[in-house]
Amino acid sequence: MVSIGVQTKNVVNDTDPAAGFAMLGRTGFDCVDFSLNDYLTNTSLYKQEVNDFFNQSDGELERYFAPHKKAAREAGIRIHQMHMPYPTYVPNGSRELNDYLWNVVAPKSMRICAGIGCPYIVIHGWKLSHHLGSEEAEWQQTEKFLCFLAPMAKEMGITVCIENLYAGTGGHIVEGPCCDARKAAERMDRLNDRYGAEIFGFCFDTGHANLVGIEMEDFIRTLGDRLKVLHIHDNDGVGDLHQIPFTFTKTRENKVSTDWEGFLRGLKAIRFDRVLSFETAPVLTAFPEEMKEEVLAFIAKIGHYFQEKLNAGIESV
Amino acid sequence: MNIVCSPDGIIHPPRPDQGAIDLSRVGFQNVLLDFSMCCSGHELEYFGQEYKKQKEIADQEIPLVTEQPSGIGLFFEKMLDVCRRKALAVPIARTPFLLRNTKRTDLTERLFQIHAECIKFCGSIGCGRVIIRPVFSGILYGREWEVNKAYYLRLAPIAKEHHVMILLENQCKDQGGHLIRGICSDAVTAAGWVDTLNEEVGEECFGFCMDVGVCNLCGQDMREYALTLGNRIKAAILRDCNGHQESSLLPFTCVCHGQPQTDWLGLIRGLREIGFDGDLILDLADTASAFSPLLRPQLLSLAKAVAEYFQWQIGIENLLKKYKQIVLFGAGNMCRNYMKCYGEKYPPLFTCDNNQKVWGTNFCGLEVKAPDALREIPRDCAVFICNIYYREIEQQLREMGVENPIEFFNDEYMPSFYFDRLKGV
Repeated sequence: MVSIGVQTKNVVNDTDPAAGFAMLGRTGFDCVDFSLNDYLTNTSLYKQEVNDFFNQSDGELERYFAPHKKAAREAGIRIHQMHMPYPTYVPNGSRELNDYLWNVVAPKSMRICAGIGCPYIVIHGWKLSHHLGSEEAEWQQTEKFLCFLAPMAKEMGITVCIENLYAGTGGHIVEGPCCDARKAAERMDRLNDRYGAEIFGFCFDTGHANLVGIEMEDFIRTLGDRLKVLHIHDNDGVGDLHQIPFTFTKTRENKVSTDWEGFLRGLKAIRFDRVLSFETAPVLTAFPEEMKEEVLAFIAKIGHYFQEKLNAGIESV
Repeated sequence: MNIVCSPDGIIHPPRPDQGAIDLSRVGFQNVLLDFSMCCSGHELEYFGQEYKKQKEIADQEIPLVTEQPSGIGLFFEKMLDVCRRKALAVPIARTPFLLRNTKRTDLTERLFQIHAECIKFCGSIGCGRVIIRPVFSGILYGREWEVNKAYYLRLAPIAKEHHVMILLENQCKDQGGHLIRGICSDAVTAAGWVDTLNEEVGEECFGFCMDVGVCNLCGQDMREYALTLGNRIKAAILRDCNGHQESSLLPFTCVCHGQPQTDWLGLIRGLREIGFDGDLILDLADTASAFSPLLRPQLLSLAKAVAEYFQWQIGIENLLKKYKQIVLFGAGNMCRNYMKCYGEKYPPLFTCDNNQKVWGTNFCGLEVKAPDALREIPRDCAVFICNIYYREIEQQLREMGVENPIEFFNDEYMPSFYFDRLKGV
């Protein structure tokens, strides 16, 4: 039986995490995607700005997130997945910054993930093909990072999930790291074999896939059981908007412009039984604050619709 | 590598002289025979229903291709005649195709008849390659290969008999107005299709045409795409678009904030790495249509230069191989990039620079000399200018009396790049 999840960002705040988790429980979610990336944002990292959040000791970080863990448990919410701050390598960034991301942020993220009882952590592959000249050379750098994380993942019982990403040219989004399901599957299998444990998996991001026109059903079928985590959100095929599924249409016929049927057929085909997790935090800043509960409930309702479709026969999709 | 210009937007088949003159004058030597110009997706969509085709063929009524496929050649009689007179060859053709958002699921047999006639006509005029898109409409998920395999294998004997190679082409598909990856947009699958078809017919009867516009619409990594298909790619359609709406614009014209919206870097890297030597088809139908006929000669002159630029970039090593000895001019980032990517394979004797502060120093393993040193190099040693002020430096060297070949190097589309740029060089 699949569960329904959503990001903690814009719902759970540090001053009163219990209120946020309670709201998520009320609105129909039973899981969350813990937004650790919100504590060291990509926008600041690309500006080479680093706050001191991850300078805290492991003990301090554990105490920091203890109320979140407790609140989630009390609200009956499972912390299913977490997003590591990204990027984990800044091209043209200083050596100090990249060393910090590798040696401090990444290991501490892993320990926070384990401490909070979360089994999956999502990371971004490195975007280097422009400089290095090929996707393969780019992957080799990501793989070094994964191999750095591997012993920690194995020891802590965490599965590190790589996500399909995008790059851009002139404002046009094109495919980035991990957009080839065949290669991703082969690489994960090889690494898991090397470490003798299932410590690497895949996070399929529907919005990123839609931006680069990926055939979702094929992609998901190719991944099979390697697919551990989802980032479900929608966009207009142009910008990474992280909106509610079924929001976009591009013609006067008003047919949906994202292939949600293919997405569901793919999940159905691989008998996906994990969490339908929505990465729709930006929706909550777009709607008035007063409507937050209704919006969350609507997102959860879509999750339940997906859930019903997956539980029913494949021909129903 | 053949540069081929699509006549769409340039030549009007019923009255082809002006367009052919324009193409010929700027030096194009090949044109695409685009059968879709006489049998559009809209005509196919309305097949069997009332459809008014705009015909401007003087004093003759030519039936619709959809109604009489065998008459398809009639539309191009005048155009081919003027092409012959203007020495414009027709090495490759493109067959009619359905609209991406077609509602018609009943036209596969009609398309087959049209495609078969196109092949026969190509054979009759010595046009050796024909692009035939995979059929897609009404085919259930998972049955694409089965249906297309049967379709192409039915066409194969006709193609063999008429000595025409069939090129499959990558497709996008319409998802509520959003164009996403379609049949043959997965390069591994496409390569498998081509190989299996060739195995089935026992000879290389099938190849592939890479539509760059479709790759761009689907945000694909074009280097990877080209590399996976390798020498199965016999033709590439070069066209620009904004990545969201299908159009055929002159490359480098679809830009935002000074950046191209097509990943030309990936394309050039890919075609270069596979040693692409097929037909480079320039399709600027929309740009040409939007330009006034008064400006079209100038536009086509630019289009020709753009196509030649791609040809040059893709085959950049052909230029480097041309000379036994070379020297560079410039001791900056472009020289550094040259040495990173080509320095080992094509080592220069030295480099020179106008900045006297660097004379006598070593830069990226090269001795930096004063420009005067160029007066003493062997006559057949070429000077490669590694500085964007190409023409200014060329003039300087000629005024110095340097009579050696002078070539321009360019590092915009290198196999790889440094993460940093040197400052103050």
